[in-house]
Amino acid sequence: MTTKNFPGYFRWLLLLLVLAIFPWFLKDQGYAIRVLILVMLFAAMAQSWNIVGGLANQISLGHAAFFGIGTYTSTILLIRFGISPWLGMLAAMLVAALAGAILSIPTMRLRGHYFALATLAFGEVMRAIANTWTSLTGGPVGISVPFSQPSLSLMQFKSSLPYYYIMLGALVITTVIFILISRSKLGYRLRAVKANPEAAEVIGVNTVRTKVMAAVISAALMGACGTLYAQFNFFFDPDTAFSLTGVSIRVALICIIGGIGTAAGPIIGAFFIIPVEELFNDLLSGQAAGVSQLGYGLILIAIILIEPHGISALLERGKKMWKGKRYV
Amino acid sequence: MASHGHPPKHSPRRRQFVAGTGMLALAAALPTLSLAQQKTINVGVILPLSGANAQFGINSRQGIELVADEINAAGGIKSLGGAKIKLIVADSTSAATTAATVAQRLITQNECVAILGAFASSLTLAISEVTERRGVPLLTMSFSDQITGRGFKNVFQVVSKGSLIGKCQFDYAVALASGNQKVNKIAIVYEDTAYGTSQATGLRDAAKAAKTEIVMDEAYPLGISDVTPLINKLRNSGAQIVFPVSYLNDSLLIIRTMRQQKIDMPIVGGAAGYVIPDFAKALGEYAEGVLSIAPANYDLGPQYTERYRKRFGAFMVHEALEHAVCMDVLAQALEKAKTTAPDGVREALRSTRFNGGWTQAMTGGAVKFDDTGLNTLAEPVMVQWRKNELVTVYPKALAKGNFIQRKAV
Amino acid sequence: MQLLQALIDGLLIGGVYAVISIGLTLVFGVVGIINFAQSQFLMVGMFIAFFAWKFLGLDPLFGAVLAFAGVFVLGALIQKYLISRVLKAPEVSQIFLTVGLLIVLENLALIVFGSEFRSVQTAYQTSAWRLGGLMFNVPYVAAFAVSAVTGLLIWWVLKKTWWGWAVRATSQDVMAAQLVGISPARVHQMAFGLGVGLTALGGSIILPYLTVSPTIGDQFGVLMFTVVVLGGLGNILGAVVGGLAVGMIQSISSLVMPIQLQNLALFLIFILVLAVRPEGLLKKAS
Repeated sequence: MTTKNFPGYFRWLLLLLVLAIFPWFLKDQGYAIRVLILVMLFAAMAQSWNIVGGLANQISLGHAAFFGIGTYTSTILLIRFGISPWLGMLAAMLVAALAGAILSIPTMRLRGHYFALATLAFGEVMRAIANTWTSLTGGPVGISVPFSQPSLSLMQFKSSLPYYYIMLGALVITTVIFILISRSKLGYRLRAVKANPEAAEVIGVNTVRTKVMAAVISAALMGACGTLYAQFNFFFDPDTAFSLTGVSIRVALICIIGGIGTAAGPIIGAFFIIPVEELFNDLLSGQAAGVSQLGYGLILIAIILIEPHGISALLERGKKMWKGKRYV
Repeated sequence: MASHGHPPKHSPRRRQFVAGTGMLALAAALPTLSLAQQKTINVGVILPLSGANAQFGINSRQGIELVADEINAAGGIKSLGGAKIKLIVADSTSAATTAATVAQRLITQNECVAILGAFASSLTLAISEVTERRGVPLLTMSFSDQITGRGFKNVFQVVSKGSLIGKCQFDYAVALASGNQKVNKIAIVYEDTAYGTSQATGLRDAAKAAKTEIVMDEAYPLGISDVTPLINKLRNSGAQIVFPVSYLNDSLLIIRTMRQQKIDMPIVGGAAGYVIPDFAKALGEYAEGVLSIAPANYDLGPQYTERYRKRFGAFMVHEALEHAVCMDVLAQALEKAKTTAPDGVREALRSTRFNGGWTQAMTGGAVKFDDTGLNTLAEPVMVQWRKNELVTVYPKALAKGNFIQRKAV
Repeated sequence: MQLLQALIDGLLIGGVYAVISIGLTLVFGVVGIINFAQSQFLMVGMFIAFFAWKFLGLDPLFGAVLAFAGVFVLGALIQKYLISRVLKAPEVSQIFLTVGLLIVLENLALIVFGSEFRSVQTAYQTSAWRLGGLMFNVPYVAAFAVSAVTGLLIWWVLKKTWWGWAVRATSQDVMAAQLVGISPARVHQMAFGLGVGLTALGGSIILPYLTVSPTIGDQFGVLMFTVVVLGGLGNILGAVVGGLAVGMIQSISSLVMPIQLQNLALFLIFILVLAVRPEGLLKKAS
């Protein structure tokens, strides 16, 4: 830890402190805190996605598969066997990790668009399975997570605060894992594979193992987020848990808009996208049908046109311009 | 920019003038401030106003607006000093997570006294998790069995359960056919979302209970673009009646393909796509005589439902009617409760038998919720298309017209 | 006999899938992006054909020409002002630009046209020809015929005209194409316009048996991608073969397994093809 890094850590700690204290100023069980909870959960999900999307440059459009596995695994264990969602979360991570490993097999040689399409199909496969395997998943009608009373061991609360801290914890953990990976030997190998897979093989990087490891970790984290979602929202169905637009595309979008490959990207992206969506819904959805969604789509296009590399890059541009001005 | 030599911007005379005007304005406003008579009551309306269910969401909103406007025109909620209903309308989108967040927003920011919505059962279930925890009543016409099956205290469903609707779809059809022939073999086809699946369960159980053979029982993906394999199977199945549970696109595909293959068997639809004006508009004469189950029908209360046609130009589809009933029930509950506090409203909703206003247009002629939140007076009705209108033909007690056998193809 | 019927049905509908999907693969092959909004142009084409039927009395099979023309222009403009800006950007940005476009088109349609489901009535909508013990669904046959004609036209344009040569040159090597005087920007506009126009044409020829609403495109999104992947991204003949294959798989699979699992089967084949032979089942032919 050199002194050069000190300001960096300081910024993270400050952010953490602000996030930790902030909810106390909000109305409990209110709207603002709910939005923040979702922001942090989706930021954690986007951070999990960042591991394959950012470090390995594999654009996955099927991460909902792991998310949905997470929601169903822990909830089925809870309802059928009374197992605590904390343990259920571990099981969810295992099953999701297994799915990640399995998905790696057909996608091993794929890059770019092809990888995106294959993962998209995988997500849809999982959704179709959940929809048709009614005896296991309850089918298209979905599952309601039973709520008896606030309980830590059952990960269910009436107040929003415990959920807030759980999601904050998830965000912290996924971000730390992301940073650790990107600074570790695995991160080095991933960058090598991203830059030039053939060259990487030549210098001794086991590309297969590298890719599988990234996929497994990313999938496991995503699965854990699924459990958290189930315990927070109390209801989900195959369309929600394995949603292409609501989960797969959204987490990729959040990461990209924020700045793919950076630790701050998912957080910036989530803090931007979800409140913006809510704002449009709030202001416009009472008007003619479709107006709020239209607004959201236009903003999306605008951002990509202005800065295709995302808001992080936009901020960098801004910083450079600012630095440049100071010397005028 | 500062002009030092000039007199200060706000001269003493100007200040006096402003103060005087301000006090006059305040005095004028005082009566309205102190009496606070024209209160408004915020009612949250969460419906899919984008995405595949947009049409149903829009119809439902129109039904609610019609009733809210009527109530306000008649003087608002009289027991609360003539307070007017203000609808806070929001798009649930088609995502359950968003629907729940929207519900949270309406409760927190807009202080809605109750929520009406959200047509699709998955959206309603997600919203109900929020309203239950906040103790805010939710009135709905979604009919998944799960809605009233969780022991929630704040859900109020004005229509029968999905499994009952499916059961009646079968039982009524058999009753209507009993004059002509015994029904031994039936086919069930349904779209594979929550709606189709849960109603198919009701159909299946009813058929099994009647010891009728189900020779075909097929789900199909909602976005299916080619039903030929499905209808081929139907043709070869030997079924006497087909019970399709579909939205509009698939219902049209099914009926048209059946026509093409000259399949003659009676069709008893499962509401949704089978009971909207677009169905008749698309099929023209081929819609004539098609039967469908429905949770409610507009011809049971024309003195009310014709107002919808006058204002919006088409007959009042059942989701609009049921949402209108939700609005009226809420208004009557507010009248009775004499408060906007959630506990009082909930209590009034649960304990009252509502038989005024729009509740008379509901099957059952009145509305009464039991402990699970289900309106036990509601019963499904069988309707038949006659010249682009839906006529209730069963049960006999409610029928507005006689059931007519369809002419052979 | 059942098998033969299933084959015929699958083939007929497959022709339609092919026409709808050629556009997607063309756009990828020439412009280099995967247009996630492609299915929305199907919806736009359907609306154009519907209004042509309603106000001009044109049968959708002829209205398809109008649909093609209208969406061609729309597509060229979108390429010029939107897509061209992200051609140098990372792939993900391209993907998400088209996702944004998808949302905008769908909701614009909802605002402008409303949410009702609209349907045309044609004389042959509910007829079927009988031959032997087999049934030929007339709207399907008509759609297939138009698809076949369109396919041949496209082949002719791409192989025999100067413009088609320019398109193929650009898709193979942009620099070289520029050196011989081709304007890549122009070619991209024409190609994108042609691509989405074809999908729009496909939409209008299926109007007789489907209904049009702002969300009708969603039903065909994944189907189009499956066809294109099977045939190989960028391979036009592949899209034709892929379309026919998907139609037949859908149809035949219903004989051996529940119809509900139709899409599941398609997705699994999709993944399998990508895993084993990402360039598609056909050898790369431009």
